[in-house]
Amino acid sequence: MTPLLEVSELHVSFPRTGAPALVPVDDVSFTIAPGELVALVGESGCGKTLTGLALPRLLPRGAELGPRTRVRLGGTDLTHLDERELRQYRGRRIGMVFQDPMTSLNPVMRVGDQIAEAIHAHEKVSRRDARARVLDLLVEVGIADPPARIDAYPHQLSGGMRQRILIAMALAAGPDLLVADEPTTALDVTVQAQILELLDRLRRSHGMAVLLITHDLGIVAGRADRVLVMYAGRIVESAPTGQLFAHPAHPYTRGLFASIPRLDAETTRLTPIRGNVPRPDQWPDGCRFNPRCPVAIARCLTERPPLDEVAPGQRAACWVAQADAR
Amino acid sequence: MIRWLASRTTEAALTAAVAFVVLVILLHLLPGDPLTAVLRDHPADPAVVAALRHRWGTDRTVWQSLIAFGAGLAHGDLGVSVSEQRDVLVVISERLPATLLLGGLTLLIDFTAGLAIGVWSALHPDSIRARLAGAITVVGYALPAFVVGLVLVWIFAVKLGWFPPSGASDPLLSPGAGVGTIVADRLRHLALPLATLVIATLAVPLRQQRTSALAAAAQPWVLAARARGVRPGVVAWRHCWRPALTPIVTLLGLWLPMLVAGSVFVESVFAWPGVGLLLAQATAERDIPLVMATGFVLIVVIQTGSVLADLLYRVVDPAQRPA
Amino acid sequence: MTRSGILGIALLAALALFAVAGPLVGPDPAFQGDLVRGTLLHPSAAHWLGTDQLARDIFARLAGGARVSLTIGLVAVLVAAAIGSMIGLAAGSLPGLAGRMVARCIDLGLALPRVVVLLVILAGVGEVPPLVLGTVLGATGWPAVARLVRGETMRLRHALFVGAAEALGAPPGRVVWREIFPGTLPAVLVASTLGLADAILLEAGLSFIGVGVRPPAPSWGNMIFEARDYLASAPWLLIAPCVALVVATSAATLLGDALRRSLQPDIR
Repeated sequence: MTPLLEVSELHVSFPRTGAPALVPVDDVSFTIAPGELVALVGESGCGKTLTGLALPRLLPRGAELGPRTRVRLGGTDLTHLDERELRQYRGRRIGMVFQDPMTSLNPVMRVGDQIAEAIHAHEKVSRRDARARVLDLLVEVGIADPPARIDAYPHQLSGGMRQRILIAMALAAGPDLLVADEPTTALDVTVQAQILELLDRLRRSHGMAVLLITHDLGIVAGRADRVLVMYAGRIVESAPTGQLFAHPAHPYTRGLFASIPRLDAETTRLTPIRGNVPRPDQWPDGCRFNPRCPVAIARCLTERPPLDEVAPGQRAACWVAQADAR
Repeated sequence: MIRWLASRTTEAALTAAVAFVVLVILLHLLPGDPLTAVLRDHPADPAVVAALRHRWGTDRTVWQSLIAFGAGLAHGDLGVSVSEQRDVLVVISERLPATLLLGGLTLLIDFTAGLAIGVWSALHPDSIRARLAGAITVVGYALPAFVVGLVLVWIFAVKLGWFPPSGASDPLLSPGAGVGTIVADRLRHLALPLATLVIATLAVPLRQQRTSALAAAAQPWVLAARARGVRPGVVAWRHCWRPALTPIVTLLGLWLPMLVAGSVFVESVFAWPGVGLLLAQATAERDIPLVMATGFVLIVVIQTGSVLADLLYRVVDPAQRPA
Repeated sequence: MTRSGILGIALLAALALFAVAGPLVGPDPAFQGDLVRGTLLHPSAAHWLGTDQLARDIFARLAGGARVSLTIGLVAVLVAAAIGSMIGLAAGSLPGLAGRMVARCIDLGLALPRVVVLLVILAGVGEVPPLVLGTVLGATGWPAVARLVRGETMRLRHALFVGAAEALGAPPGRVVWREIFPGTLPAVLVASTLGLADAILLEAGLSFIGVGVRPPAPSWGNMIFEARDYLASAPWLLIAPCVALVVATSAATLLGDALRRSLQPDIR
C-alpha cells in the first residue's frame, strides 16, 4: 500500500552566528500508512515536537530544513511548496492538535468561530452551513450540549473540553493526517483516557492517520499501531507496538521500560537511565546514547549506527542490537 | 453588567465630588485674595471692599462655598467669572467644544496610528521603520509639549508658512464664505496643535502597543491558526491585533489626565480657544470662581473617561465581563 | 552604573556648575544694555548666546534660569519625597482600617490631575518666590511617591529580617522606622530622580503660561514665552532655553533609569 506520509532525511537546523548550527532534528525518516496510528515517543528535548511541526512546515523563525529533506503527502512533495500552496494543505490535509489547550485558543474569540475558521479557510460555505457543521463536530468530539457551548469563550470551558475543541478544529476540514502533539499532557488522568479514546474512534470513523507525539509510553500501549522512539534528534527504534513492549531492542527503549513501574510484574527497584539528556549543542559523536548506555562498545563512540532491521518489522539504531540479531 | 456600570459610575461621581471638596478646602486655606492685588493700587472704601468680596464670594467659609456651588450646580449656575463678568457656565461651554475636538482627534490618532505602528513593528521587528518608531517614542516622550509646539510653529508657520501659528480659525474670513473654505480654514488651524499633541503623547500608547503586539504574535494560538490554514491577513487581525487590544485599552483611563495636562500647555502655545487655555488664563488672572468651575469640569471629564475606559475594557476582553 | 547613567550625572553636574558659576562669572542677567542697538544681537564673542529684546545677555539669563529650575526642582522633589514617604509608610504599615483609609487618600491624590491642582493653588496664592513655588510643586507630587513607598513597605513587611526584628520584641514603630524605612529609600531615590525631570518640566510649563516665575526674573519657561514674538527675527531666543530644558530633563531621566537598573534590577 502506498504510504500516506513519507518523511525522508528530515533535518531541522538553527544556524547561529559564530558557532556551529544547532540541529535538533537530525536525519529522521519514517512513513505512515493511511489510517495508521503511529506514536512518536521521546523525552522532552529530543526533537519530537519540531518533527511534528516540520510536516506542515510551521517551524519557528530561524529554522531551516536540510538539503535532502523530503516530506511527501499522498505522493505530493510538500518540501518546496511556497506558503500559499502549503496553506491549502494545512488543516485540509494535515491537521494539528497542540499541547496546551488554554494558550492554543484565542481568548477573545468564541470557540465556535475558531472552529468555523478552519472550515472557511478551505471551503466556500455559508455561515449557517459552517455553523451546522461545527455543531456536528462538537457532537463528534463528545461535547455535551453543543448549542450551549458553541458560542462560549475558552475561559468558560474546562481543560478537557478545550482539548476537545482543539481536536474539533483540527478535524474541521477533514484532514488525512492528524498530528497530535502531547494532546493529553495538560489534562487529568481520567480525561486523558477519554481524549485518547476519542482520537482512536475518530481515526477509525474518518479513516484518518494519526501521528501521536508523546513522552508517555503508557498511553501508547494498546492504541498505537507502531511506535517510533526518538532520542537526541534521531529515531533509535521503530517497531509495531506489541513487539516493542515485549522485546525492546534498543538500550534506550529498554531503559525507558525499566524506569516505569509496572502493575503486572514484581518490581523491587526502578532503574532510571543514568546520566542526563544531552543538549543539542553537546551531542556526543557516534551513537548519541553512548555515554548513558550500559552495553556500549568501542564502535558506538565513533560510528553512528543506522536504523536497521533487528527482527521482522522492528528496526533499531544500535550496533549491539544489530550484532545480536545476526 | 448594568449593575457594575451603576456602581462604577457612583464610585467615579464620589471621587469627583471628594476631589472638588479638597480643591475648595485648599483654596480657602491659602493666603491671598484676588482683590488684594487690585486694592494695593486702588485703595478703596472698606464698605466697597466688603461688598466686592461678597459679590465675588471670597468672604465665604468652606461650607458656604460648597453649599453655594452645590446649589448652583443643581440650577446650572456655577457662579460669575471675575475676569469676564459673565456666567461661568457660559464661558466654559463656549470653550469646551474646541478642547474636545482637539483632544478627541488626538486620542483617535494616537490609538489607531499607534496600534497600526505597534502591530506592524511587532510583526517586522528588525526593520528600520520599527527602530525609527522606537526612537520616536523615546524622544517624543522626553520633550515637553509646549517645546514641541513651538518648534513646529517655528518650522511650519514661521519658516515655511504652511500653517497658521495660532488660533482655531481665521478672524478675517468673511461670514459668507463657502462651507468648503471654512472647513479648509479650520483644518489648517487644527494641523499644528493636533500634530503637537499627538507627538507629545504618542509615545505612551505606542510603547504599550508594541509590547503587547509582540506578546500577541508569539502566542501559541497564532501558530494554531496558521496550522488551520488561515490566511496571514486574517491571522494578523483576528489573532494578533484583537487580543493585543485588551491591555492597550487599560491605558485610556491612565492617559486621559495626561491629555488634560497636555492640553493646558498646547492650547497656550497655539492660543487654541479651549478649556485648557481658559484654565491657564483664569489662573493668571486669579479668577477664583472660573478656576474652581473649570477645575471641576476637568475632573468630571477625567472621571467620565475613566469609567468609559473601564467599560471598553470589559467589552474588549470577554474574560473580564462581569458574569 | 551604566554609561548613560554617568552621562546623566555629568550633564546634571555641568548644569549645576553652570547655574552656580554663571551668574558670578558672566554679566548680570538683569542688566539691560544699549536698547537702541544692543537688542536681539546674534551670538558673538561679546555675548555667547546673543541678547534678547531688552538687550540682556542670554547666556547670563540662561544661567539664571538654570539656577531657578534646579532650585525649584530639588525643593519640589525633596518635599514630595518627604510627604510621600511618611504617608506611604503609614499606609503600608498601619493596621486595619487606618491603613486602608490612608491608602484611599493616596488613591484620591492620584485621581486629582496634578496640573489642575497646581493651577488652582496658584490662582489662590498668586505670585510667589521660587522656594514657595517649589514647595507647592512638591506638595502636589506626593501621591506618586506615596503609592510607591506603600508598595515597598508592604513588600518589606513580609521580608524575613523584619520578622526577626519583631520576634526579638522590637516595638512596631521602631521596626517600621529602623528596618523598613531604609529599605524604601532606593525606590524613593529612583522616583525622585525621575520626578526631578517632571518638576523641571512643570516649572517651565507654568512659567510659560505666566503663573510660575514671572519676568523679569529669568526662567527657561518665561524665556521661551518671550521668544515667541521673535521667532522669525531671532530664533536663538527660543533655541537656547529649549535646548537647556531638554538637556536638563534628559539628564535627570537618564540618571533615573540608570539608578533604577542598578538599584532595582528585578523590577521592570
